[in-house]
Amino acid sequence: MRNIVTKICRWVGLLVVVPSFAQTQATETWPIQPGIYFPEAPLPGKWRKAVGVVFTTTPPELTEEIRVSVPAIDFNVQRGLTKHLFLTSRFQTQFVQSNLGLGVRWATPLTNRLFLSAGYDVTGWLGALQIKDVFASQAYGVETFPNVSVGYKLTKDLRLTVKSEAIIDLYYRSQVGSLAVVYNRRTINGVAFTFILEQPFYHQRHVSVGIRAAYSNFNWQLWSLFDTFDRNLFYPQLIFDFIL
Amino acid sequence: MKRSHYLLIGLLFLLFDGCRKTYEAVVPYAFTNTPGSGQFVPPIRQALEGVYTISNGASQFGDQAVLKWTYLLNGSDTTHYLSIFMGTDATYFNLEGSPEADSLVLKGYWRKLVNESIGEARLIVREKHNGKLQLFKGSLIPGDTLVVDGLYGDKSATPTNPLTLTYNRPLNPKPFSIMAHRSGGRTSDLLPASENSVEIIKLASRLGATGIEVDVRFTKDGVPVLYHDNTLNLRLIQKSGLAGPLEDYTYQQLSTLVRLINGEKIPTLEEALETVVNNTSLDFVWLDTKYIGPMDKVQAIQQKYRQKALALGRNLRIIIGLPTTEAVDSYKALANKDNTPILCELDTSITRSLNARIWAPRWTLGPQTDEVLAMQAEGLTVFVWTLDEPEFIREFISQNHFNGILSNYSPVVAYYHYIEQQ
Repeated sequence: MRNIVTKICRWVGLLVVVPSFAQTQATETWPIQPGIYFPEAPLPGKWRKAVGVVFTTTPPELTEEIRVSVPAIDFNVQRGLTKHLFLTSRFQTQFVQSNLGLGVRWATPLTNRLFLSAGYDVTGWLGALQIKDVFASQAYGVETFPNVSVGYKLTKDLRLTVKSEAIIDLYYRSQVGSLAVVYNRRTINGVAFTFILEQPFYHQRHVSVGIRAAYSNFNWQLWSLFDTFDRNLFYPQLIFDFIL
Repeated sequence: MKRSHYLLIGLLFLLFDGCRKTYEAVVPYAFTNTPGSGQFVPPIRQALEGVYTISNGASQFGDQAVLKWTYLLNGSDTTHYLSIFMGTDATYFNLEGSPEADSLVLKGYWRKLVNESIGEARLIVREKHNGKLQLFKGSLIPGDTLVVDGLYGDKSATPTNPLTLTYNRPLNPKPFSIMAHRSGGRTSDLLPASENSVEIIKLASRLGATGIEVDVRFTKDGVPVLYHDNTLNLRLIQKSGLAGPLEDYTYQQLSTLVRLINGEKIPTLEEALETVVNNTSLDFVWLDTKYIGPMDKVQAIQQKYRQKALALGRNLRIIIGLPTTEAVDSYKALANKDNTPILCELDTSITRSLNARIWAPRWTLGPQTDEVLAMQAEGLTVFVWTLDEPEFIREFISQNHFNGILSNYSPVVAYYHYIEQQ
């Protein structure tokens, strides 16, 4: 765990220091810009919404010679509670499997460019595959994601966020036909790091574009592969969201 | 983007790449492969087989172990090995009798298939007589108990951790087919031999298998060989400069230029079956049809090696698997197909229409108890594939309906089958 924290600190330091060489420190406070990942709370009582797509590439350990980039529709909704506190919710679906997350986040500026947030998300996922002569399987589970985000305003309208998450499994149940297997031990399943740029796109619309690198022992989108590896595999994800 | 942003992305890429770790499980013990059984004469081997209770070592390996002997033939020589299967993390031990010892010493290694855990093991067979441990001489009197104990280590470290196994009961005697996928197991599970190689066929019974499934393809010049994937790729072969479908290359090219991950050649189907017949005690070979096209060559090879096995007094079943409608069509196009045993992976009606003697549904359809019992009532054998998840293996075996399981984790199937109490 100490290694992970050290790595995160190094990365965050790198992200903060390198752009600083190229930019003169601005003195004015920039206005709140639409963003889903940037660690800045919406104004109290205000909503933020985004819709987009997340592509998850399957690890070769699981799908062997086949590399599939599985797209999931991605909805994000946030609501400001106080100046620093806001609620988050996220729904991802591929129709045969879906994931709903709810969380709370606390965010604060450290300087007029550097922002920080800490949050805790709980997600429930569900998958069901009924394909003649192939699958009569279903599964569901619960995971939690304690997370910390560091955001840096690279320019007036370009913002970079680095988010780190721990992935903790609380419950897993899968069923084939009439047989079911349940695991309800709390285990740290892995970690994930997200790098997101948020910027204007067109007609005053903003977008979130980035990657999420998850190193985990299980990924809900690939439950139907029933993997037997007891080790963290790399799940790269591409994220593209329109902020509404 | 500014130059600093490109620099940032480059540094992040280097960080990711630098974090990638080597994943391997190097066997820490060199087998002598000495023919014969040394001190482990037949009555001792027979007495050793059974279900044992684990005392020291239970936190690492679970609370029960299965001990089972297997052997390899090489002409008139026979080499014996002891396997131990345990209920945690798909653990197996592969041991040989130490030939120079004057007591019953076993040396080898243990491995957990779910991760890269591996280590050396040194065990000794003793008997508990009047509450005291003494060397086992080959026969037990009522009240005495066999104890196998010793030390195990981690990776290449000298064994220092105690392990004690105490005999509990005999193995489940019910006939059951434990079939190892891809000739023994997946290359990605870091077995000491590559999938679909001659070497892993020789290892299969030590992994608990009573039979194997092999993947059959044809080279450009029509030689049936063993290979799973659609292309030559670094998942299965060492760097060779060759890429694309295996079917684009002649057998000579593959034999000269391509080596599997652990250095083996891609074997021909005949080499594989020659190994099964001449070197192993396996009683079942499932020829998975990975090619599209005529089946006559495979049929001829199946019949040739069936006859070879019969000539050696072995009832070795070599079955052609039909996983697709294309394979079914190829089978239907065969001349003299009545004496060609087949296994059908499609639904029960197609299986019946083909007069297949074996039905093999996917495990992801569940236990399908009604269909399984109906097919068995009609005289068919029913296998399920490819079941690797240990908890589901346990559930499928405890339901007690299937005649066998095809798995990449044959040690797990062996464990749950042999500990089952009738």
